[in-house]
Amino acid sequence: MLWKDKYRLGVDVIDAQHKELFMRVDKFLRALRDSTSWEEKVSRVNETLDFMNGYVVEHFRDEEEYQQKIGYPGYKMHKKIHDDMVHYVVKVTTEYKEKGYDEQLMQQFGGRLLAWLINHVAAEDQRISAYARSKGVKSDE
Amino acid sequence: MNDSIFTKFLEATKNVFQLMLDLTEFSDSPVEIGSFGSDLDICIGITGDLEGEVIYHFPSETSLNIVKILSGMEFDSIDEFVTSAISEIANIISGNVLTELSKEETNCDLLPPEVKKAEEKDYEIRRACCIVTSVGNVCFDIRLNRAK
Repeated sequence: MLWKDKYRLGVDVIDAQHKELFMRVDKFLRALRDSTSWEEKVSRVNETLDFMNGYVVEHFRDEEEYQQKIGYPGYKMHKKIHDDMVHYVVKVTTEYKEKGYDEQLMQQFGGRLLAWLINHVAAEDQRISAYARSKGVKSDE
Repeated sequence: MNDSIFTKFLEATKNVFQLMLDLTEFSDSPVEIGSFGSDLDICIGITGDLEGEVIYHFPSETSLNIVKILSGMEFDSIDEFVTSAISEIANIISGNVLTELSKEETNCDLLPPEVKKAEEKDYEIRRACCIVTSVGNVCFDIRLNRAK
């Protein structure tokens, strides 16, 4: 399981979404890294990829709304990081389908996504919670 | 300038390893240029007020251990997945250094990570170092010139 309690922000709704996001990424990566042949696992990879991608967009939108609600000063910069990642996800997924489900491309995508997500939640997102705490925002707001 | 940039890369590498991998014990030592003997070399190009590149050297053991910690899964070879994850870590470290440099009015951009061996050239700013961690060594080779 990818999720670690140290990633918690102390904001109930965002923490629940992060856990769900990590669970979906974990399912995708485990399907991708399964030791069976690509032909055997590609349908499972595609299923978990779609299941994950939809949630990435939904979570980013909700997290950005929360940032605006609490007046987070790093909102614009954080939104740009989200937008760049969504652009990358859409670009790779489109190319992957156009190339007839190319395994090499999906393995590259999985590796980058893993490192990006952990850094983003462990570093960038922690700044949101630090700001919320400094302003006395309650965890369920 | 040389020392300042070197320290920024050293600290950024340690910080990222601490944050992403929960590593806390580090020791570092300068190394002779070109004596890394690593299996995965990630080159990050830098443009702007500074121009050149930083080459990160990851021995196979280090790369495999890092990806295992990140994913909770076993890896036995340096494939596209591992290379891409390690390239992203090199990108994150370099991005954090550029953020620190921008606070001192030195503004640069990164080029996408590339897997390649470095060519030997002369650089105004040149420092190399290996950091010893519990998951293995990681080395970097800073090769920069001030923009004319």
